[in-house]
Amino acid sequence: MTETTATGASAGPATAAATGVAGVVFREMSAEPRTQAVPLAHVSLELGHLYMEDFEGGPERMRSHFAQVRPWADALRASAALDGRRPRISTCFLIDDYFSRFSSPAELVPMVIAEADRAGLTIDYLARESGCAVADGVPVAEDVAGRLVDSPPLGSDGSRPPAKETGWLANGDRALGAETLEAMAHTPSWRPPAETAARRHSVFVDVELRDDREGHRTWSCPFLAAVWHLARLGLLRHGGDPVLQPRNWSGTEFPRQWDDLPPLIRLNPSAQPFSAYRTCSVLPARFLPVEHAVRVILDQVDADPEALRQAVKRAADERISVPDEIPDRISYAFYAGT
Amino acid sequence: MSAQREAKASVLLCGEVRTCLLQHSQSLAGDEAVKLLRLRADEQVRSSERPNPYAVSPDVLTGVDCRLPTVSGAKVRAVGTVTARAALTEGRVLQSSAWFEAPATGPEQRQPWSHYLARPGVVEPFGKLPDRAVADGLLAGPREPGELDLGAIAERLLGSVLRHPSLDQRAPFKSRRTRLRWAALRALDGEGPSIESFTVAEEGLRTAELRLPEGMGAAAAAALCEDLALHDWLLTTLVRMVERSRLGSVDGRDAVRALRPAVDHLMHLWMPGARLDPSLGPLWEVLEREPGFTRQWQSMVQRIRDQLALQAIPLQRDALSVH
Repeated sequence: MTETTATGASAGPATAAATGVAGVVFREMSAEPRTQAVPLAHVSLELGHLYMEDFEGGPERMRSHFAQVRPWADALRASAALDGRRPRISTCFLIDDYFSRFSSPAELVPMVIAEADRAGLTIDYLARESGCAVADGVPVAEDVAGRLVDSPPLGSDGSRPPAKETGWLANGDRALGAETLEAMAHTPSWRPPAETAARRHSVFVDVELRDDREGHRTWSCPFLAAVWHLARLGLLRHGGDPVLQPRNWSGTEFPRQWDDLPPLIRLNPSAQPFSAYRTCSVLPARFLPVEHAVRVILDQVDADPEALRQAVKRAADERISVPDEIPDRISYAFYAGT
Repeated sequence: MSAQREAKASVLLCGEVRTCLLQHSQSLAGDEAVKLLRLRADEQVRSSERPNPYAVSPDVLTGVDCRLPTVSGAKVRAVGTVTARAALTEGRVLQSSAWFEAPATGPEQRQPWSHYLARPGVVEPFGKLPDRAVADGLLAGPREPGELDLGAIAERLLGSVLRHPSLDQRAPFKSRRTRLRWAALRALDGEGPSIESFTVAEEGLRTAELRLPEGMGAAAAAALCEDLALHDWLLTTLVRMVERSRLGSVDGRDAVRALRPAVDHLMHLWMPGARLDPSLGPLWEVLEREPGFTRQWQSMVQRIRDQLALQAIPLQRDALSVH
């Protein structure tokens, strides 16, 4: 085997390494972008979301939430250990600081940790929802929006541009509105929407991804939740680098301002990796419509193929099968209540 | 990559390439080319300096659910994604390319969309694929609305790159776009790749029909066809430029003026097979024997150089006589 160095490849970081074995002598790094891998657990278990209304319910509300979550968390651990192996499970918790700013990390985070602890649950990772929009300067939500490939309704022959510019994403063909019908002569009546992959009858969903008001773009809750699932599946990359990566947080002191808290922190130094082959979220049933929308979005995300491949390969090395399809990698437990 | 996993099962690979001059007064330097082809903010543009400057955009997918064109008139519905990318060679020649591959059979009903996104660049037929009829149908082009239109996907991508604000829309010379439609069926067991036909039709349309061994992915085939399209465009453009210069029939200096852009922008671009999968190299050799792409190119280039040399002699004499 021989090794050589590039001679005068002037394009940025271009260097060349040579191996006679593979038959490739000359290589340019800029011509072969690398996608950095992330460590992966078996399951990323979400112990909850915290919104303003939850906070207003006080510590009691958190206490009853974690008490509801605990049996499901135990069930997940038991089911992940069914094949006799010791499952690698990491837990996470998401706090909304995007749609409304309330309280402060200094006040809130210790309360959340204490209430989880009271129920016998450990929060390994804590994230801020605004980190799903922009994390460490990387426009994560914008990146994911750029990777949406609309599910084509029947008759999509490639000649029509994709409809993503509207900021809405559907799981089928929209109904024809009155204006369109007026424009089309001889169209007899209203035409209903149709779910593309319907089993005879449709469950049509049209998801608002964002709005733009006064020059400011606000991503919708389902869209940020979809980004959150992609982060937990280890599928987010920007220029080949992982984004929304956890930073260690030692100590019990937390800042007075949300912006001073990193978007994702590791509270438990011995936690399993944040990202995992699969995700499971334990949420109150009121999140069902949001998570349905999340699945509609994830069904239409063309994630980084190399990141997808890395997860499948690593799992195969452990003799674990991971579905190719992203929505098939996520699961939920919805408990009764709001 | 899942696309490679699927490649084994595919029996038909098809695509369309558009080639044109970048509408810009200067050829783009490496970093400018990278900016131009950054179709998605989060993904890197592959670029290379050896053996010539070349940059290629990330792949973008377009979802399709429609009939495939067939010469037999058979109606075949197919669902999946078409891969498209744009590439810039020597900062000067822009190409867009759209392609897909198809397996012999597919599910009889439409699957959740994530099923198709997990197989990028694969279009699955409902039931059995009449591969020969579809290959011929695609080479003939869509005949009625509602049939898969790869050209529209390639054209839309080309258009969006050409509208990039960094381009000044001042091309240094006139040239025409060319379109290359290609289709490849699988080679018989044990046989290597072959080129069955390369046809130059009217209005800038070319068609190529290939046979490729099992396991050869659509991206490698698309790269070959982009290379064929690039060199066909170069030859077409140079031939037209020499014709327009009316070389040999007008005042030599006018001809030199008319041929100047060829020297500035085209003559150094000829480099067949620069980045091909080595197993596809023999296909170029076939085209070199008949019709002899490089032979014709060299003959044109030699003619231009001779003319320039001829004109240089009186110019030097004029220059001397000034003193």
